[in-house]
Amino acid sequence: MSGVAVTLAKKRAIAAGFGTNANAIPYLNQDFASLRAQCLSSGQLFCDPTFPAAPESLGFKELGRNSPKTRGVTWKRPTQLVSKPEFIVGGATRTDICQGALGDCWLLAAIASLTLNEYVMARVVPTDQGFGSDYAGIFHFQLWQFGEWVDVVIDDQLPAKDGELLFVHSAEGREFWSALLEKAYAKVNGCYEALSGGSTTEGFEDFTGGIAESYDLQRPPSNMFQIIKKALEAGALLGCSIDITSAADSEAITRQKLVKGHAYSLTGAVEVKYRGRQEKLVRVRNPWGQVEWTGAWSDGSSEWNDMQGDCPQANAEDGEFWMSFSDFQRQYSRIELCTLTPDAIENDSVKPWSVSKFNGTWRRGSTAGGCRNHPYTFWMDPQYVIKLDEEDDDPDDNKVGCSFVVGLIQKNRRKLRKQGEDMLTIGFAIYELPQQFHGQRDVHLDKNFFLTHAQKAKSETFINLREVSTRFKLPPGEYLIVPSTFDPNLNGDFCIRLFSEKQTETLPCDDPVKADIDDEMVSESELDSGFRNLFTKLASDDGEISASELMTIMNRVIAKRTDIKTDGFSMDTCKTMVNLMDDSGNGKLGLVEFATLWKKVQSYLSIYKKNDLDNSGTMSTPELRIALKDAGFTLNNTIYQLLVARYATDDMILDFDNFVCCLMRLEMMFKIFMKLDMNNSGSIELNFNQWINFSMI
Amino acid sequence: FVPSDPPPPRRPQVYADQHESDEDKQFRKVFQQLAGDDMEVSATELMNILNKIIAKHSDLKTDGFSIESCRGMVAVMDSDSTGKLGFHEFKYLWNNIKKWQGVYKSYDADHSGTISADELPNAFRAAGFPLNEYLFQMISRRYGDDNGNIDFDNYIGCLVRLDAMCRAFKTLDKDNDGTIKLNVKEWLQLTMYS
Repeated sequence: MSGVAVTLAKKRAIAAGFGTNANAIPYLNQDFASLRAQCLSSGQLFCDPTFPAAPESLGFKELGRNSPKTRGVTWKRPTQLVSKPEFIVGGATRTDICQGALGDCWLLAAIASLTLNEYVMARVVPTDQGFGSDYAGIFHFQLWQFGEWVDVVIDDQLPAKDGELLFVHSAEGREFWSALLEKAYAKVNGCYEALSGGSTTEGFEDFTGGIAESYDLQRPPSNMFQIIKKALEAGALLGCSIDITSAADSEAITRQKLVKGHAYSLTGAVEVKYRGRQEKLVRVRNPWGQVEWTGAWSDGSSEWNDMQGDCPQANAEDGEFWMSFSDFQRQYSRIELCTLTPDAIENDSVKPWSVSKFNGTWRRGSTAGGCRNHPYTFWMDPQYVIKLDEEDDDPDDNKVGCSFVVGLIQKNRRKLRKQGEDMLTIGFAIYELPQQFHGQRDVHLDKNFFLTHAQKAKSETFINLREVSTRFKLPPGEYLIVPSTFDPNLNGDFCIRLFSEKQTETLPCDDPVKADIDDEMVSESELDSGFRNLFTKLASDDGEISASELMTIMNRVIAKRTDIKTDGFSMDTCKTMVNLMDDSGNGKLGLVEFATLWKKVQSYLSIYKKNDLDNSGTMSTPELRIALKDAGFTLNNTIYQLLVARYATDDMILDFDNFVCCLMRLEMMFKIFMKLDMNNSGSIELNFNQWINFSMI
Repeated sequence: FVPSDPPPPRRPQVYADQHESDEDKQFRKVFQQLAGDDMEVSATELMNILNKIIAKHSDLKTDGFSIESCRGMVAVMDSDSTGKLGFHEFKYLWNNIKKWQGVYKSYDADHSGTISADELPNAFRAAGFPLNEYLFQMISRRYGDDNGNIDFDNYIGCLVRLDAMCRAFKTLDKDNDGTIKLNVKEWLQLTMYS
């Protein structure tokens, strides 16, 4: 690809509003409307070249080519399977989702929860499609992928065996939205097999763009009930379940009619007056639409007679029932909660949380510092600041503070499974920022800060899950969040999201990009006769030094030094040096130009020596970041990553010539920018010829 | 300037397996050997390949590809700052090098084994880059020796960079008005990673 420019263009597009739900990015640049129109006018049914009806789309191992599970599989369109296929019959319901030969129950449980929220459902499953007159074998779905909404196009060829769908199918058999949605989900993850094994929360998030949290009810936070109540007010999706200890336990029904190992939805939470005291109640729904709790507060139970307050009883046999919160905590093991982002909430009465989202990258040698166990590199990880101003309004909870949730997602790892990659072990640490750093966003905190400050909070664990999310309640103040992989020097992309009840200010914490360049030319009078003589000797007959002469000089000087390592200055570096100093524009250096360059190289040499803390004669990449600052260049993470990728060797060190080359080039580029940005507007406009002129230097 | 088709974005392996021609499949085998376990080509790997190739062509004058120039070539094509090239990026580079090698030979009018400042404009036009005289002069100075003669490794390094920079301009000039606007961060990202 066209390198960094593509990344920049994409960043600009997202800043301009692409990738929101209302403006989803066409996945792989496939535009549903125009593809369907093409198919309709040509009379051809759509065949998706990017996710072909072929063994490779099924899987790579258990579902790989010629595996027992895929033997006899043929790809069929719904029209070839049943006589009158439908997209959705009578609304999407949980009975439309029956698991097939794939271990993706986590996904199906999430799809089932999704059907309970009509508004969210309509976003994922657009209703502008079906098997009617506009049928062309093409369908599309909108999924949330690591911070962006993508519109995923598929053809409707589905894997089938003996005339039956291999994977998800509806109980009814004629309804295909669920099978097609599963296919779209498989496409963005590379193949069907990549979906095997996962957590419901992953699905929750990919259908809502919300942030998922899981609570262990054996060790719940003290304000569990408040969390549930607030989440429901904010329009969140909630699920709960009873853990099973063996497979035989799955869907076993307890004496009081609760189903084990089964996904329930949590739909309500109230407090009522009961016999003179406050009683906390929760409403739970069994997606089967039947089999209800028979204990206290169940449908028609006697507790309701002594209740004062506003609480609609649930008497119908519809799968929905109330129970006391204390019973609930005793019976259930786990709550999974997915808080929607503000843009997912239909109802104005709910109180949406404020959300901020940042994309970041860990790169070997520059911004992949690993966790706190690695103090030498930890400070190089990306950093984010959250400013908590206002305490929550929850009168019931006597702990004051500001609630927020941090979610760290690693991107694209499911897709990489085929290449043998898997999830990285990720997590984050939180530091309280001392007063002197308040209000500062343009500072990347350095090693000393982390050596002298203790962390205030951290993610529950470092774990190899797609997402690590943790809820915090901290006093007002400013906090620094540092997401990292457990081990240093692992490449990865991530998206970090911060959800807070109150409006907060959250920003990446990074150094500004600026240069403080010593521009002074050496004056001729400063030069002693020794230097003049040296110059005359070095310069050819024309009295000036060319790039190749400079190379000879530099290499001769450097060869005498045993304290610095270098494989010699290359012609490229010498040309850069000449270009930087050459004010006359003839491609050669005169006496003063050469003297100024010489002084610069001397000062770079002393910076190099000073920052070579381990006296290795080379510069490690953490040493580089500090050395650049000493040389007057403050750079942000992105540019720092690029410099390491460009100038460091495979084992992440820079020798002296690379160091000088990097600094000289930086200086030149800063100078060009400043020269073009005459009125200090912060940006420059270039036409094609100017661009080529400066970028080819 | 009309850029040739850009290389396709990284596509799923399934697509590649399904749709590659025999030539592509053979090329992929070669790539797998070059790229090693990580299936990405680093600057060092690229340098070794290129130097092996030029060793077979005695009519190309060159002092060999340096690691610096290979780092530069990888950088201008890499979009995720890992410092490595994937299959499609490498293939695109490869095909260009083959094409430009042909241009080099046919426009080295005096068979000196290098492209002189006089030969440069026609060679670059043939390679698809009709620049103005000023830029041709600048390129001869920057990529040539003291006499403005460009040898093969510098020629390739220059064209890889030029191609990438032209492409970058097109990508960023969304409204096609012939200008691009950059802030200092973007400017450094584009010019320092090359």
